Amino acid sequence: MSLRVIDPGIQCTVQAAPRLGYRHAGVPYGGAADPLSMALANRLCGNPADAPCLEIAYGPASFAFDSPVQVALTGAPASVRVMGATKDMHALLEIGAGDVLEIGAASTGSRIYLAVAGEIAAESFLGSQSTYVPARFGGHQGRALAKGDELAITSVRRVPFTATPAELSLPLSHSFALRVVPGPDFPEGAFDVNSSVYHVSRRLSRMGAEIEGPFPPRAGAGLKPSAAVFPGALQVTPQGRGYLLLPDGQTTGGYPHLLQVIRADRHLLGQLRPGDSLRFLLRSQAEAEAALRAKQALIAAWVTDFRL
Amino acid sequence: MMAPAFPVIALGDDALTVLCGPGDIRHTLAHHLASDQSWIEVVPGKQDVTVAFDPHAEGMGLAAARLKRLLELAALSPALDAKTHSLEAVFGGEDGPDLAALSDRLAIPAAQIMDEVLQSPLTVDMLGFTPGFAYLTGLSSMLSGERLDTPRARVPAGSIGLITGQVGLYALEGPGGWPIIGRLQVPLFDRTATNPFRLAPGDRVFLRRSGRP
Repeated sequence: MSLRVIDPGIQCTVQAAPRLGYRHAGVPYGGAADPLSMALANRLCGNPADAPCLEIAYGPASFAFDSPVQVALTGAPASVRVMGATKDMHALLEIGAGDVLEIGAASTGSRIYLAVAGEIAAESFLGSQSTYVPARFGGHQGRALAKGDELAITSVRRVPFTATPAELSLPLSHSFALRVVPGPDFPEGAFDVNSSVYHVSRRLSRMGAEIEGPFPPRAGAGLKPSAAVFPGALQVTPQGRGYLLLPDGQTTGGYPHLLQVIRADRHLLGQLRPGDSLRFLLRSQAEAEAALRAKQALIAAWVTDFRL
Repeated sequence: MMAPAFPVIALGDDALTVLCGPGDIRHTLAHHLASDQSWIEVVPGKQDVTVAFDPHAEGMGLAAARLKRLLELAALSPALDAKTHSLEAVFGGEDGPDLAALSDRLAIPAAQIMDEVLQSPLTVDMLGFTPGFAYLTGLSSMLSGERLDTPRARVPAGSIGLITGQVGLYALEGPGGWPIIGRLQVPLFDRTATNPFRLAPGDRVFLRRSGRP
């Protein structure tokens, strides 16, 4: 059977697991910008947590299915309709032959995940099926989906109805609090991290998010010798703007690296939206480890094969 | 020979950086750490080597202790698998649209710039920026240049960029901010190969002039 793209919205890509082990060659991780939401969608469909899904930026978007199939939607809250009838996110949906699935514009957050109870065809490259558009790796011909594209779905099967437990489908708001540890260029004594409010600018993509707000004076002055950076790195440019790296972001950087979003909260980066307010909460290494264990335990009760 | 005890610092909560300084030591250490196959990533920077670990499997303390033990075992001899590449290139014209302007600004004939580049024993200092983009050091500092004021939206794969002391090789087509002086006649990226990237950090590179008319 197949899924046909009627309207991909601003950007719709096939995403799956990150592409690990090639950062020394300049290849970013890629993969779902919000991997927790992707795992929740796959869980409802009985798939492995990192099975290929459609990552839909903002919506609206719509898709048609030529055969009966079960699907699930998670991530940024948006209206969902199947042949005009309103449906819920975070619950398994029944799609009939020829049905059209319409996803509205997300009101908060930025990325919606669509999983199907089956396997969405995706090209694997360097060990991952995730689409990395800048170098045309993986996914569907290495590119964002376009109107009229047809994606084969194989191994279609029926799974029992489930819905995401309430504690894991928390609504997103327009303000984020991200826990951070100091980066290698943290200006000790000159940066009162917790007391400032920042905003996400319009410069936002799968590569990164520009952050506006009060950074310490001259925090971004001068380039340093390029060194490895990872998703969640907050660098500051000479213009005094922050840049938070997302999964498709570059592998090395020369701007001062002030903060690093902790592993436990990195999944939230994929839901940042232009205009959202943002706070950083400074944590110790021990607190970061405890936060990861706590959140992982909460998720593991529902999704057993996902690691933050 | 034992490696000196390089400082190790945390990079976030799931990576560690070895402050080993510039030069071949980074490639030796990176090779050593990668061969251990216990790190999710081993990434040389300009003056350091960073490893990423799985924080679900070990905390920062354990990972740092394990890294320091591995560093103590690292021999200071050059990495054994550093390859030497001889890559055919053409210069100027459509393939090197900024060579003429560079020649004018430096008041050095284009042919002499080419000779300098061709005679320089280059080393892959690191890969980064975009997949396979190689930063090569070893160029005469007489060839000075800055990044373009306005980066190009699209630079062809194989393009040879030049800024002061460095050559940059674009493995893939993509955006680019370096002045472009020529283009390789051999691909740096082969989608069908087990390792699609021809160059690795630490490799030696000689450019040679293509016989292409």
